[in-house]
Amino acid sequence: MAPRVVIVGLASDFGCQVQMTNIEDDLLDVLGLIDLQYWQLASSGHMPEEYDIAIVEGAVTTQEHVELLKRLRKTAAVVMTIGSCADTGGILALANCVDPDVAYAAVYGKGPEVARGRRAPGPVDAVIHVDYRVPGCPIDTDEFINVLSRALQGLADRTPVDPLCAICKTKENVCFLDRGEVCLGLVTRTGCGAKCPTLNRPCTGCRGLAPDANLEAARAAFVSKGLDPTELERRFDLYNAAREVTR
Amino acid sequence: MFFRVIDKERLPDLIAGLSSEYEVVGPVEKDGRFVFAPISDPAQVRLDYDTTLLPPKKWFLPPKETIMRFCRADEEVVDDEVFAPPRVLFGLHPCDINALLLMDNVFLEGYVDPYYKARRENTLIVGMSCMPTETCFCNVWNTDEVHWGFDIFLTDLGDRYYASLRTVKGAEILDRHVANRAVSDEDTREFQRVVHRFKQGFNNNVDTTQLPVLLDAKFDSPIWDEIGDACLSCGACSMVCPTCYCFDVADRLEPDQKTGLRIRTWDSCQFKEFAAVAHGQNFREDRASRVKYRYYHKQWGYLSKFERVLCVGCGRCARACPAGISPVKVIEALQTGEVQ
Repeated sequence: MAPRVVIVGLASDFGCQVQMTNIEDDLLDVLGLIDLQYWQLASSGHMPEEYDIAIVEGAVTTQEHVELLKRLRKTAAVVMTIGSCADTGGILALANCVDPDVAYAAVYGKGPEVARGRRAPGPVDAVIHVDYRVPGCPIDTDEFINVLSRALQGLADRTPVDPLCAICKTKENVCFLDRGEVCLGLVTRTGCGAKCPTLNRPCTGCRGLAPDANLEAARAAFVSKGLDPTELERRFDLYNAAREVTR
Repeated sequence: MFFRVIDKERLPDLIAGLSSEYEVVGPVEKDGRFVFAPISDPAQVRLDYDTTLLPPKKWFLPPKETIMRFCRADEEVVDDEVFAPPRVLFGLHPCDINALLLMDNVFLEGYVDPYYKARRENTLIVGMSCMPTETCFCNVWNTDEVHWGFDIFLTDLGDRYYASLRTVKGAEILDRHVANRAVSDEDTREFQRVVHRFKQGFNNNVDTTQLPVLLDAKFDSPIWDEIGDACLSCGACSMVCPTCYCFDVADRLEPDQKTGLRIRTWDSCQFKEFAAVAHGQNFREDRASRVKYRYYHKQWGYLSKFERVLCVGCGRCARACPAGISPVKVIEALQTGEVQ
């Protein structure tokens, strides 16, 4: 029997759920592997009571999200996160860099009244244990299929822990740091195939801090290349401002 | 080995001629640096290149390669054909040719790697003389000279090339595709003058006397911790290294989960999971031990097995390392007790 799957969105722009539809050629094959019971992007019905795999997109920004995640964790045998928002808090976590009252007032006017149950935006694994993760903004469809396949086979999560530079070298990209440009690849989790640098755009850190990153050495590398070392963390905040929340 | 001379202006004839029989790969410009890429027009070839971003090893051991496909249901191999088209690698410097000879020890001796072997057998090598750059230190390992491992080696004598013909095939293709003449005594004298000039051009003269002794004596030196602290564990050094041969093999299933792929990718001893084994044991948990073993393997481990160090002094790692770690600096640090 195919595992029953629900796909749930927390706070996000649904980009990764849209990206799943971009699987295109292989979408039917992937859907054939699972019994898709609920897909928030595509369903108007309710989530079922029982399911085996919960795929979660989006950052945790409200108490409601926390309750939902706890329910998902209790019901599903496997929880898989997709995208930066769920993985690191993503862009939403930038809200942690400003006074929330000021931010809410600026966006909603009335502030606290509309923001009942609000929470400092953070990643899913700050609330519940995550079994498998597909990082990135947006996710890479190939990686998604591979991680889903591993989850279906019960194989261990193999999210890479190393920085990006190695794969970038294999693409024969000229190093941005050598060109005097800030690039976050030297501390960002690999696995994306260095898509951005290969398209001549420096890494923005969307896959989060590589668990084996050496930030101190990265700052020193910035200095030796004539770059401002404070830029490393300032730019890294774009997708990783919630990193204290997880650590 | 015997020798012929060709006029410099006739060199495009050779490249064009080779292109009619082979895929010709040579140094071309990319964003101000150079890469080995397939050539469609002899004018693309930049024989004035300093070094390339990746070494030629990618043409024998690709960064990522599907080594076989299998059917999940009946566990049968459905495709394990090796893609090895007839190819010429044109314009390799001595360091890179020497590096391939070191790779051969690993992939062609003992356990023969069929993928590497097929490509090696189907590839002709045309070498090209060079001049030392800031980061070159091939002189330190005597890999600034190359006497075999190529079909043709061209030494630039200004208006002409001194062509060393190492194989019958090399002699044949030279003769077939480009006007050439016998070597005069003056040509050979000029050849030697050029080589002397080349040898005097090196900046890096690090002392490698009794390096294995130095390495063993300094095994517990705090120098390694200092270098480890500076290391990003990014693996850039291994990727750009012409002699790093470590790879990882992993299976994955196609989206329909019916067919599987066995994929080989370059690996690096600098990655945290490189020496991780079942039950969570990791023999090289910390950075310092990983950096240290990279050097121990290259300058001592390989040496003890093949009587050569596993480094050709191409300087690519020195250029690629964001932290500026290089073999020359590491060896000097071990000698002086200070990381510069």
